[in-house]
Amino acid sequence: MAHSESSSGILDTASDAGWEDVESDDDSQPIVGLFSTTVYPDVHSMLKESRDRHNFDLVKVKKELDLDLIETIKLVNYIRSQVKAGNLQPNVSSKSLFDEDLYLKPTLEDDALLYNLEDLEDDVGTVGNTKQNAEKQVVELQEELDRLQGQFSEYRSAVQRSMTEQLSLEDETVVPDPATGLETVDKAREADLDYFSSYSYNAIHESMLKDAVRTDAYRDFIYDNKHLFKDKVVLDVGCGTGILSMFCAKAEAKLVIAVDNSSIIEKAREIVYENGFGNVIRCIHGKIEEVSLPVSKVDIIVSEWMGYGLLFEAMLDSVLWARDHYLTPGGLMVPSHVTLRISPFADSDLVCSQISFWKSVYGFKMSSMLTNIYDEVLVSPAKPSSVAADSVVFLQLPLHTASVEELTFVKDVEVTLTKDIHELDGWVVWFDVFFMPSHTSLIPEDAVPSHMKRQGYVAFTTGPDGPETHWQQCLLLINHGKDAVAIKKGQVIKVQVGYRKKEEKSRSLDIEMQWDEGDAGKGSQRWSLQ
Amino acid sequence: MMNGSTNNTATDTPWTSSSADRMAGMDHAEVRYFTSYDHHGIHEEMLKDEVRTKSYRDAIYQNRHIFKDKVVLDVGCGTGILSMFAVKAGARHVIGVDMSSIIEKARQIVAVNGMSSKITLLQGKMEEVILPFSKVDIIVSEWMGYFLLYESMLDTVLYARDQYLAPGGKIFPDKATIYLAAIEDGEYKEDKIGFWDNVYGFNYSPMKEVALTEPLVDTVEMKALVTDPYPVLTLDLYTVTPADLAFKAPFSLTCKRSDFIHAIIAWFDISFTACHKQINFSTGPHAKYTHWKQTVFYLRDVLTVEGDEIVTGHLENKPNERNKRDLDIRISYAFDASDVARHAEGRCAYKMC
Repeated sequence: MAHSESSSGILDTASDAGWEDVESDDDSQPIVGLFSTTVYPDVHSMLKESRDRHNFDLVKVKKELDLDLIETIKLVNYIRSQVKAGNLQPNVSSKSLFDEDLYLKPTLEDDALLYNLEDLEDDVGTVGNTKQNAEKQVVELQEELDRLQGQFSEYRSAVQRSMTEQLSLEDETVVPDPATGLETVDKAREADLDYFSSYSYNAIHESMLKDAVRTDAYRDFIYDNKHLFKDKVVLDVGCGTGILSMFCAKAEAKLVIAVDNSSIIEKAREIVYENGFGNVIRCIHGKIEEVSLPVSKVDIIVSEWMGYGLLFEAMLDSVLWARDHYLTPGGLMVPSHVTLRISPFADSDLVCSQISFWKSVYGFKMSSMLTNIYDEVLVSPAKPSSVAADSVVFLQLPLHTASVEELTFVKDVEVTLTKDIHELDGWVVWFDVFFMPSHTSLIPEDAVPSHMKRQGYVAFTTGPDGPETHWQQCLLLINHGKDAVAIKKGQVIKVQVGYRKKEEKSRSLDIEMQWDEGDAGKGSQRWSLQ
Repeated sequence: MMNGSTNNTATDTPWTSSSADRMAGMDHAEVRYFTSYDHHGIHEEMLKDEVRTKSYRDAIYQNRHIFKDKVVLDVGCGTGILSMFAVKAGARHVIGVDMSSIIEKARQIVAVNGMSSKITLLQGKMEEVILPFSKVDIIVSEWMGYFLLYESMLDTVLYARDQYLAPGGKIFPDKATIYLAAIEDGEYKEDKIGFWDNVYGFNYSPMKEVALTEPLVDTVEMKALVTDPYPVLTLDLYTVTPADLAFKAPFSLTCKRSDFIHAIIAWFDISFTACHKQINFSTGPHAKYTHWKQTVFYLRDVLTVEGDEIVTGHLENKPNERNKRDLDIRISYAFDASDVARHAEGRCAYKMC
């Protein structure tokens, strides 16, 4: 069933060396109160409590007496020693009261407040803006309330819908099956699909996060290019658990809008909050085409939209829609370019073992199970040795300019066999992803990720020569229905390959091919990814 | 890695890459739409599970004297393999019932193998199809799910038994036992649960909470076992009722050595006692790999145990009230160590959905 653990073996999230600086700037330390033994999570909350409960404003005193850092340290130790001696209202009318070197020695051992005095300036700003902040907070809370109310009414109508469906299901009439003369229930077939619905909620996200080729590439591009993200407004289309949004927040984006139509957004919201990005990242539940964003334009769109064979799931449609509606002129698409590659495939062991298995299962013929193998794209890792030619690019999509129409296409390419093969067993298709730093950047037509990386760019391949990713490769197996025809090294094969969405709004995909192997013959076939 | 089979999964079944990997972001209807591809892979995985398929084959082929001229009902027949075994063993007629559209393939397969006149295939729910016989002599069914009971068809088998099995009729298989044991699994627990503490430098604890409530179906190595197995529940298919499938049963696990306990695992054994010579198979960590693997329940705490000490507790299982197919599982445990500092007790709730 759906529970596949295959990804965990190939993944190595330990290769994070070099990012410690980015990831460990959490400097909030518990602070002991000036007038009590209460421990506060940060300076700000301790100072607020001092102001509110003890009518003592450290920041104000510091400002009024015009204290430098050393003098402020003395002030803190002076106050602490006075409080320790029982005086809860120490006299701070003049600098001279605590201008003695003995107050350089901490009164309180490991006093975290002393390490945080430099930040007091920030607090001055906060004090001055409290009213403004409070107003902003009210507005935010109002928005939150609206959102929750919206969600509740959505939920209510969803419950109503599903109840109606339930009732109509029960009302459904039993019809005789003409083939058997027996009664069967029409909907039974649909019901059994339910049976295979996702087994594990976490496993999907776990496998994507643990796909280090994928996640490292986004992280590397964002962290290596912080200057591009600093103070920018970023839109994350299909944010999942929010990892890319948090990368952007760490890179000091001003605002990140994270949109996802799945209920995972609730977890993303919690995760964002847990990591202290609640005021930078806004999580919005819904389809990008339907939700309303808090801004009219964004500077950057980041998205991990790639599906099997690149275009399965058709999520790119939504990303391009978002680009056309929200990306400011000159804004950046992350990633910026993708290419699709194809190569002939020959792996007789694999094909034979499959076919012979269904030809005799415990002594029974089950060849009718074979049809699926030739009708459907098989998502599976291809052995590097099964790739029989240098791959060729049959589509390059520059994400800044590509249109939805370009996602249905027919292309002509040629491949040259680099070895003798027993038979052309099929085709292997994969994609490469490139992260260029500007909307005007170009990549060579036959760009190779490893070459681009040597030039300092971020890129990755999902091909058989690279480390395994959760996308694996797409295998299109040829149904020869005749004896094998060997083909020699050097043979040129002319290939026409087309991608076509099955129908409007469908996520599934047809791949159609025609090929001409010269003397070895010709062929054409169609596979679907569903 | 303790649960060492993770990579094998991909190579064992290269054609069954699950679309679940890419289901994130889809709503339920879409997920349903995409799972049709999995059908093929699932049937392949089950047929290639030799422990499973050979046990059924042997139980049927070695008992031709029991099957000869009998009417057999195959509940959840899938590709029809068990029905065909029964015909080969001399059954007079076999009725295969399955809700899934796989039955169309089964029809083609049965025809190609020249058994159309011996096997009647019906698509639909057991409760709704009309059988060409009012009683059957033998029920065969491969109904077991992960943790024996998750998405299992046992309810359907019991309905078929009550409705159609002739007095003195036989059920293949007719006995199932769930076992528990505790394992040391520090490294893998860190990989599966600890992973969420730090994801690229971020705190993913909301996902960790979910992870702790999801039993993990995975292969456990024999050497990870810290305790002896304990048979926590035995089902006799001639007498068990659907109500018995919601149960609370005590367990007592005796430690074999000084070690840590990170998880409790469950597996099941299956017996065909109606055979002339009883046939059994186990899905435990000591036995050959099956597609059921084992089910791992991570505990929040780590127990520090020594040889001969005993961890006691209760395993509780009931179908979820809203979705009967989901299981609500609870494990409570108490560990009275010889020194108080190691004493531990806890109660963990899991959901298989």
